[in-house]
Amino acid sequence: MSIIQAKDVKKWFGDFQALKGISMEVAEGEVLVICGPSGSGKSTFIRCINRLEQHQEGEIIVDGIELTNDLKNIEAIRSEVGMVFQSFNLFPHITVMQNVTLAPIWVRKKSRSESEEKAMELLERMGIPEQANKYPGQLSGGQQQRVAIARALAMEPKIMLFDEPTSALDPEMIKEVLDAMKVLAEDGMTMIVVTHEMGFAKEVADRVMLFDDGQMVEENTPELFFDKPKHDRTKLFLSQIL
Amino acid sequence: MKNATKYLLFFRNVVFLKWAFQILFLFGILSIIWNYIQNAIVNLANTNIAFSWGWLGETPGVSIAEGLYTLPISGLQMIQTGMINMFRITVTGIFAATVFGTFLGIARLSSNYIVEKSSTGLLEVVRNVPLLVQIYFFQAFVLSFPRLEVFETGEYLFHVSAKGIAFPWFNRGPNSYLLMVYALFVLYVANKIYKWRVDLLEREGRDTKPFLWSIGILVALLVLGWYGGFRAAGVVGFLAAYISIGLELVPAIVYQVLISSVAIYIGFKTTKRFIDSKKSEEAQGIYSDDDYFKIILNVVVVLLVVLIMFSSIGAGFAGFLVGDEITFKADWGLPQLFHGIDNKLNWYPSIDVEVVAEIEGMKKAEIINWEIEPGDKITKGDVIATAYATGTKIDKQEVELIALETGNVESLLVEEKSNAIKLGTPIYELEVTEGDPFIFSRPKVEQVGTTKFQRYADGHGKSLSVGYFAIWLGVVLYTAIFISEVVRAGIMAVSKGQSEAGLSLGLRRGALLRLVVLPQAIRVMLPPMGNQYLNLAKNTSLGIAVAYPEIVAVGQTLYNQEGQTLPVFLIWMMFYSSVSLTISSIINYYNRKMKIVER
Amino acid sequence: MVDVIKKNIKSVQESLFSSVGSSVLTIATSYLVLNFFRGMFGFIMSSDKDWLAVLNNMQLYMVQAYPESDFIRVWISVGLTFVFSGISIGLWRSEDRSNISVIFDRFFKVGLGLLFFTIVAPTFTSYMGNDGSVITEEVFSRSTRLGILIPTLIGTVGFLVLKNVKINFSYNNSDVVFLYLFIPVVLIWFVKLPVIQLDENRDRIMPDPLMPIANTTKIPWSVIFVLFLLSYFIGIYFKDVKRLKNIMSISWFLLPLLIFSWIFKKPVIEMNEVLTGDIPIFVIFFVVGLLVVLFINNPIVKKYYSIYLGVVLVGTLAGVFISIPMLAKACLLLLSLFSMVVPAVSTSTQGKRSLIIIWLVALVTLTFLLRGGASETGIIVPGSSIFGGFSLTWLLAIFGTYVSFPLGVMLALGRNSKLPIVRIICTGIIELVRSVPYITWLFFASVTLAVFLPAGVEFNLIVRVLMVTAFFSGAYFAENIRGGLQSIPKGQYEAADAIGMSPFQKTGLIVLPQALRAVIPTLVSSAITAFKDSSLVTIIGLFDFLTIGKTVIDNQSVPVNFVGHQRENLIFVAAVYWIFTFTLSRRSMKVEKRLGLGER
Repeated sequence: MSIIQAKDVKKWFGDFQALKGISMEVAEGEVLVICGPSGSGKSTFIRCINRLEQHQEGEIIVDGIELTNDLKNIEAIRSEVGMVFQSFNLFPHITVMQNVTLAPIWVRKKSRSESEEKAMELLERMGIPEQANKYPGQLSGGQQQRVAIARALAMEPKIMLFDEPTSALDPEMIKEVLDAMKVLAEDGMTMIVVTHEMGFAKEVADRVMLFDDGQMVEENTPELFFDKPKHDRTKLFLSQIL
Repeated sequence: MKNATKYLLFFRNVVFLKWAFQILFLFGILSIIWNYIQNAIVNLANTNIAFSWGWLGETPGVSIAEGLYTLPISGLQMIQTGMINMFRITVTGIFAATVFGTFLGIARLSSNYIVEKSSTGLLEVVRNVPLLVQIYFFQAFVLSFPRLEVFETGEYLFHVSAKGIAFPWFNRGPNSYLLMVYALFVLYVANKIYKWRVDLLEREGRDTKPFLWSIGILVALLVLGWYGGFRAAGVVGFLAAYISIGLELVPAIVYQVLISSVAIYIGFKTTKRFIDSKKSEEAQGIYSDDDYFKIILNVVVVLLVVLIMFSSIGAGFAGFLVGDEITFKADWGLPQLFHGIDNKLNWYPSIDVEVVAEIEGMKKAEIINWEIEPGDKITKGDVIATAYATGTKIDKQEVELIALETGNVESLLVEEKSNAIKLGTPIYELEVTEGDPFIFSRPKVEQVGTTKFQRYADGHGKSLSVGYFAIWLGVVLYTAIFISEVVRAGIMAVSKGQSEAGLSLGLRRGALLRLVVLPQAIRVMLPPMGNQYLNLAKNTSLGIAVAYPEIVAVGQTLYNQEGQTLPVFLIWMMFYSSVSLTISSIINYYNRKMKIVER
Repeated sequence: MVDVIKKNIKSVQESLFSSVGSSVLTIATSYLVLNFFRGMFGFIMSSDKDWLAVLNNMQLYMVQAYPESDFIRVWISVGLTFVFSGISIGLWRSEDRSNISVIFDRFFKVGLGLLFFTIVAPTFTSYMGNDGSVITEEVFSRSTRLGILIPTLIGTVGFLVLKNVKINFSYNNSDVVFLYLFIPVVLIWFVKLPVIQLDENRDRIMPDPLMPIANTTKIPWSVIFVLFLLSYFIGIYFKDVKRLKNIMSISWFLLPLLIFSWIFKKPVIEMNEVLTGDIPIFVIFFVVGLLVVLFINNPIVKKYYSIYLGVVLVGTLAGVFISIPMLAKACLLLLSLFSMVVPAVSTSTQGKRSLIIIWLVALVTLTFLLRGGASETGIIVPGSSIFGGFSLTWLLAIFGTYVSFPLGVMLALGRNSKLPIVRIICTGIIELVRSVPYITWLFFASVTLAVFLPAGVEFNLIVRVLMVTAFFSGAYFAENIRGGLQSIPKGQYEAADAIGMSPFQKTGLIVLPQALRAVIPTLVSSAITAFKDSSLVTIIGLFDFLTIGKTVIDNQSVPVNFVGHQRENLIFVAAVYWIFTFTLSRRSMKVEKRLGLGER
């Protein structure tokens, strides 16, 4: 049973068509890596999955709920889909602990003590329990991104979306974030990762996709994708990036 | 859209909720406004002062201390006087505040310890004291001087008394407007020449001395202008005369139709641009519900404008534009406007000559016999009429009225042996053929008739009333302080690296400032500068505190007279909104222009 | 020593005479500034100024016509403010310490300045008499000059020596406030100035007898100083209690309300109304709040939470239009705010307990303050309101900010909203209000507003002024806050969306806290502008601080004739405004630095 189904999703920004009919499915527990040149619509697509962007045609069904203008459905999907952004987007005016507990307390309506316990557990899993009472501005980029992952996990999502989680980081910090993501993948989380880290894709992904010009060009297992790409576009892309 | 086909509970539909909330909000606001209007109608009915605009046409029966019409014949004229008084302060104030503020801002960046500290000291004092207190202080300061009556009559170089301050000045003659328009034209030409020489410099790579050229031509043309060349500007008046004649033929309905069509055109354009922006190669026009609402909103606004234009409000407005003299005894129409321009800017500008006191104590004149008729050429000092002067010690003393300017008589405005007319009433129209545009003179203290009172003579130097002086100095100083902050921030915003880069290219200090620092600093400075100009314009309203008759003070006098507080408030609101809009659109225009230049 | 002098000379040369242009500028500016000071000094000292016109009218300046029998209320208000300040300074006492030589240095500089002005002060001044002739008179005789010069010189040299001697004594920077306040408190006991005294025929006793300054108020001021000191120590003692800091912050907000509704006003309480109106409403709302706190997280009740919230919100909105007691309207508003917070917090027993306490305290405070504010005043001032002079200026400034700030936040949010109609309306309101000068709005309040109110409803002019100020300052606040809102990156909104927050939560928890923090400096300067603008009520005939100085004293002819002494009073008024605005802006700059706003 696939947890995400997308059928012929189309999206325009004014004159520009960002998505030209994307159809795909993601199974539960699967790790999907999406790569492609910038402006190819990959970010737009995963932002459509938790309705940060609104698709205009086609349908997206997440965990059996279709994404429409229905208020309840949007709320339901957002609490089941966690998202990690390229630029972390931590809330700078509150501490790391408050960042992580904010959603459980206010959205899930859990008690403070319970949420803090859970948050501490998550921060430990991310390897940064000692930073709990600092402000985001006092942390390094890698640490901030791990806090962002912990914040998303605090909602106990079924699916995690990663929007280029490592591209705003210094090279030495990329590894710590990727390691944290690997741990997640090993725990069986459903993940869609937009990234240029081909090493991560080879090692962790169950499937790799290439987006170009608003369309899905190629979809394959990592081995086939990297070793025997079907399309010329993929070959070109791989030659540029590797 | 596929989603729309599915069944959705309406109270869970995001788009529905969004628009339902907004319409409720709009409805709420409208109902509150409606509620207050209802209250106002009931209250006004109870107080027997029905809301009306009729008072605009009635003679208010009060005088104004200074300005265009000191004895206004209608409420509208009174308001016009207030507006012009407000502009007098605003326009000169903006100029003075900019100059002084820039100077102060640069002084605050000076490396000289004393200059920097004293300008900062001035800033801290002026900024932290309420403007009103400062204005009151300036007023009290001038008022503490002795009354004018204790001084000898005669000419002074500079004079201060409880009546105000006076100093030498270039006073405008009838030809001054011609010279001003001419000077503007010359500035334009000099600017063009500068650009042409710079262009040449860039193209041919030789030193074309653009600055020298433009200054030389500027000076040459100005000298030529001063000695008669300014009459060339009369071409403006010539054109204005034809436009005026043409506009007189236009009926009111044309304006109603014109404004409506402009509204429709703009509405159509924006909608079309909106629709175009939604078009794409594959699927033409995919609209969300938001987009439909936007289009509907556009249409509603346009319909509203058209509706207003064809209601009584629009008809009144159009009546104004055609110069319907019956409404409010005013000639504010477009034909009158161009006719006025024609009078001021003709080859020989024409003026309405007023009766002045020929002997002491004269209050009114009753013309016995005109010595002139239309078409006559008169010179300064000629006798133009004989009249009885009333108000003097001897009743009906016979006096001769003397010509004040040289020129051709165009028409007589008062008939022989008609009723006595007050001083200051125009009696004939004159086409002025001679005279300097500006006349330099010193202030003069003179007696008012045979009374024991004294005043600063008109046309001799410049005298500022206490109120004018206090409000002008107050707003200029206060605004200049804030402008200095803007200038300082603007210059500091241009990074040091920019100057260093310029210097390393071998630019000299002057060129560096002109080509590198200033263009960038001005771009930063413009929007806050515009805000300061707006503040200055609004602060002139404090003139009411020192009895300076600007629009708020005049409005207050009017509603004390007529009891019509609501219309007066609406006039204030419209006036200040349009002034704000004008200033901000000028600033926006320059802002945009600077940005384009930058790219 | 020689080296130091050489170095100083060199730095003077560099900063003042680096080039010909700079030298010319230095000389010209010095000439201007010196002449300005000499002129000012002559202006202040010349015999046509009567500074007793200011000194003798302090009471009028502060409280206008407030009856003397109730002055204890004014002193309590002032005292409370000082006690609160003392506690706050103690609680937030800075840990910075400075060496004693800093103080000596400061005194040395003051002495140096005094010396300079004593030397440059003019001996003669001239002014124009009523007949236009110029009168010249001696204002600063040689003996007076020497009398000031010699002790100042000795003092200055003394401090110069002291500041260069190494004394190993440092003090806390907060403590020094008390030293600076102690000096004036000592001075009001010992320094004597001429004071106007009247004999039994109400004639002025000439020459004016010398009296200690503030002779009538020296005891209350001294008591207040002692209380201030005591509260400071209390503050230091409880420095580590974090909760006290929060309580103090809220108390600062409530203090002016308490002063203006109960202490200064002396409300006449009708026990009947309290028993039949206030207490039942209080009980009803308390019980409702209690039930909400206790049962909201019960799964059965929780289903109906949104319906309940809707009912409360609609009730609050309807309360604006229907006629129910003021207290009920305010309680409804409070309840709707409270209900939005409750479900998230009342998840544990501890949370429930603190919620109940908060609800009780908030309701009690609201009822108490509203009862005081809505009651008739027991103080009768013939022909004028009990607020006049400085008390009115403060009332307008503080309440102007109280009412305009929330409105400003709402307008800013509206203008920044994605909903087009809301945005257009809010933009329209802001731009319309801002494009028209404040004085016309004040005229609107004084003459036009009554037309729009329902027949029979009348508000005091002060209330009407506050109503238009809410909109006027609100529009300016809104523009500032909008700047803060625009500075928040889009990612913050997206992150809040992604973790499933509702629009209200997003605004209240993520957007506003950041936006407000980013614009604190501009908000403070807006508040300062509002304080300065409050002087405009003079024009519509309210008796604020400026009116007293400008009109009231200038028209005073009994018992002492002060007609024609407007300039002295205006200078005094300007000085008082200056002290407040200058200190406020300096303080805000320091706070801004401490918050590290510049770095973000």
